[in-house]
Amino acid sequence: MSNPFENTEGIAKRTMVLFFVVDTSGSMAGKKIGAVNDAIFNVLPEIRKISEDNADAEIKIAAITFSNGAKWLYDEPKPADEFSWPYVNADGMTDLGEAYRMLNEKLSRNAFMNDVEGSYAPAIFLMTDGEPTDDYKKELDRLNQNKWFRVAIKVAVAIGEKDDVNDEVLTEFTGTPEAVLRAHTPEALAKMIRLVSVTASKIGSQSSTVGQESRQKTFTEELNKQQQEWQPVNSADDEDEEWN
Amino acid sequence: MEFKKGHKIKVKGSDEFLTVIGKLGEGGQGIVYRVKYNGCEYALKWFFQQSLKNPQAFLKNLCQNIADGAPARSFLWPILVTEQTEGSFGYLMALRPPEYKSFTDILNAKVRIVKHSARVNAALMIVESFLSLHRQGKSYQDLNDGNFFINPENGDVLICDNDNVAPYGVNLGIAGKCRYMAPEVVMGEKPGMQSDYFSLAVILFLLLFLSHPLEGEKVVKSVCLTDEHEKKHYGSNPVFIFDPKDNSNKPVRGVHNNAIDLWPLYPQFIQEAFIRSFTDGIKSNEKRVSDSEWLRLFIRLRDEIITCGCGCENFASSAKAGDSDELHCLSCGAKMVRPLRLNVQRYSVALYPGNRIYACHTVESSMDFRTETGRVVRSKNHPNLWGIRNLSETSWQAEMPDGSKKVVAPNAVLPIFKNIKVSFGNVSDAKIV
Repeated sequence: MSNPFENTEGIAKRTMVLFFVVDTSGSMAGKKIGAVNDAIFNVLPEIRKISEDNADAEIKIAAITFSNGAKWLYDEPKPADEFSWPYVNADGMTDLGEAYRMLNEKLSRNAFMNDVEGSYAPAIFLMTDGEPTDDYKKELDRLNQNKWFRVAIKVAVAIGEKDDVNDEVLTEFTGTPEAVLRAHTPEALAKMIRLVSVTASKIGSQSSTVGQESRQKTFTEELNKQQQEWQPVNSADDEDEEWN
Repeated sequence: MEFKKGHKIKVKGSDEFLTVIGKLGEGGQGIVYRVKYNGCEYALKWFFQQSLKNPQAFLKNLCQNIADGAPARSFLWPILVTEQTEGSFGYLMALRPPEYKSFTDILNAKVRIVKHSARVNAALMIVESFLSLHRQGKSYQDLNDGNFFINPENGDVLICDNDNVAPYGVNLGIAGKCRYMAPEVVMGEKPGMQSDYFSLAVILFLLLFLSHPLEGEKVVKSVCLTDEHEKKHYGSNPVFIFDPKDNSNKPVRGVHNNAIDLWPLYPQFIQEAFIRSFTDGIKSNEKRVSDSEWLRLFIRLRDEIITCGCGCENFASSAKAGDSDELHCLSCGAKMVRPLRLNVQRYSVALYPGNRIYACHTVESSMDFRTETGRVVRSKNHPNLWGIRNLSETSWQAEMPDGSKKVVAPNAVLPIFKNIKVSFGNVSDAKIV
């Protein structure tokens, strides 16, 4: 026999899965993929801390890269403290549609969303620098039918200039232009990856606040607030720096 | 922007300065720094420029809170505000000593409160804090696990983030988390005293059972807990996990083990208070347990704690043991004697060596649960003979079972026998049963 208070478990917590959907096509090679690798690697300790200091939900991370086809980094979402980011290389086409298809497949209680304690809506973070080279629209239509996707926090970062990647593709994904950001420089990209990952983790992993219209809206509001606070003058808007 | 070490910030309405020593942490609203002021170290909470919906109203409320003073000693209350600089401002408060652990860590079982006495003391301090806040006509606008810090050894509580405290009806533009709010607030009504009672019951339930009172089978079935579902489970259709008339949301073994394992360990009157709070009290605000009622309930619960020879604390009347005379220690399983009780006012103190009686027991209508007025002691020569030492400054009058009278002077001991009647001065209805 032992005192049950010596053996209590942590309170039942939901899971919030943060998805990184990362473009690793050839055009990302060089500084862009370097900045992505570096930024995701460096934001992980912050996400772990948000997950640890949280009694509402545990954060798990899943990541998919797409170029010629797409692939998951792990075959299941990993708790934040077990997820590690391997430096990924960039090469090939931009098969965004394939990434959407695979995402749709895993956004199911029979796949990635299978926590017995239930889940909060996921947060899905897309990073890309170019036009999709496959039929992404058909897969996006299917994804839009997915209930998990519909309630998810969706956010996208366009890497590079408007000529390379148009906002429309990303707005179709997020459902709102307010959740599409554009990084003109590697420094801005790194800051955005951190800001988006941290904000999505925080908003996504807590019980909703009273009067909250949607997680997506709370997220974009918070993102805008934080951006105004932190945006270093002349950094994100500095278009002089070359990417490659 | 972030302040660097050595940065000086002027105190509002004064020539004094705070000097930044380093960063302590960062939240949604701002950054907390360690600062030096008048030779001592403090915490400075510095707000992000954009984080406040109405900074002027917020600042005014903060200054008013500083002028009013801390409602109780457990509040890490704002001490002063800074001048506005860099487009924002901050306020100074005491540093939180490291032995206080966050309630979040306690809920996550990273830190455990093992002793009943520590847990009950934490409950008493939380209730006392609410009571004193309500007496000032104020309430918390964003109550959640992040606000509380508890010393797991003794249950001492510190309450942080007190900038979200405001008079009832004043809206600082801060919305609380659904999981902690009363159903009517989740559904859009303004918070008030009664909704605070609900939130208080949620916090107390979490503290005692390390489970959420409204999260059982029904909630687990919401595989994806969307905002809409949260509104339903915490707002339009909340069901208590131990609702005696509705088992649709009962705790699930494997998910809510704490609730299932810990619920039977508490006395029935505690279970009943939570049942009332989360069944009738869900719809009828007036049926909720008020803060002063909770205070009495936790004084009663503390009166139940008896310590086994192995050092483990037990409740003399846990629901699990029922009415049987047999009481077994939670930890070592040893049989414990069911103690005699001192029935006094609305209380019933288990008379077990080491147990204490307080002013709330012996002084009429006192709510003072800290001033000790008596302690149960064991006779040095006859360990089976127990008595109550008078630690108050007044003499007690006792009527022994044989009808004889006895005066128990301060520091003298009244032997414990069944059917002794005691008068503590203006409280004269006490009886050992």
